[in-house]
Amino acid sequence: MEEFPENESWKNWFHRHGPKLLLCARQWTVSMADAEDVVQDAFVRFWRRQRGLPGEPLALLLTSVRRAALDIARSSSRRAAREEGAVQDDPGSGPLFEPLADGDDRRKAIESALGRLPPDQREVLALKIWGDLTFAQIAGQLGIPPNTAASRYRYALESLRRELTAADCHG
Amino acid sequence: MDDDFQDLESELARLRPIAPPAGLLDRIERDLAPRRPPVRGWLWAAMPAAAALAAAAVLGVRWPVRPAARAPGHAPARAAPAFRPVAVRDILVDTRDEGYVVLADGQPAHRLREAHLDTIVWTDPRSAASLQWSVPREEIRIVPVNFQ
Repeated sequence: MEEFPENESWKNWFHRHGPKLLLCARQWTVSMADAEDVVQDAFVRFWRRQRGLPGEPLALLLTSVRRAALDIARSSSRRAAREEGAVQDDPGSGPLFEPLADGDDRRKAIESALGRLPPDQREVLALKIWGDLTFAQIAGQLGIPPNTAASRYRYALESLRRELTAADCHG
Repeated sequence: MDDDFQDLESELARLRPIAPPAGLLDRIERDLAPRRPPVRGWLWAAMPAAAALAAAAVLGVRWPVRPAARAPGHAPARAAPAFRPVAVRDILVDTRDEGYVVLADGQPAHRLREAHLDTIVWTDPRSAASLQWSVPREEIRIVPVNFQ
């Protein structure tokens, strides 16, 4: 983890951490467009008003991203659109990760397995592995005990390993 | 976690989340760009000052002339006041009906004489000094009468 360097440009920082923010945002939104919107809102707010706050910038931003995602999910217009069966992006549309140099089948298998995880396990996994948060921080984010966060993480890894092993056997 | 999952965790950590699209960076850049005040707002702020200058020109106000050079040894002058217009008020004081008139096309109309008091207030945010300028204005309105 890092403190926010005072003289770093937003582009440099976003270049390093933007992909993580977007990946986590996609765990909480129904479309890529919504994920981009919440990352934009959270980052602009952070850069303008929260940059100087004590604490880890990435954790702070992930909190903002999650709140923005919840706001979108709660907004009545979005709910109405869902109820009316309006056209939406598939939540799983688009790759989550950059292609691997040594064969892309494994990445696709992992993404597919991630997509089948229960959302509460997947968000803990994303925050831990790609958001670089500790279980205590994840617990704070999600409003759950740290032990629950650790349990969900373990269940997620077990499910992933089971899925990937099965895919290896069939593939 | 524990040793059981170390390989899987390492493999997952090696995956690099895809980069945000260029469009998102452009949108953030636009949001973070310094904002300029809208032109209409600037005009609105400038209008009372322009009106005051015009009135001063009409009334023949003489501005104090600053000496061309400061004598050596003088104490530095205090910063000039920076007054900004903060309020413009138009109060209708009186209306008098002056009866009917006939317009060029033969249509009858009401002639109303209105007395207004225009007030402009400037303040200097640094010193909280306030300057108020009020001027009476008379307006004659011709309101066509519509017989139905």
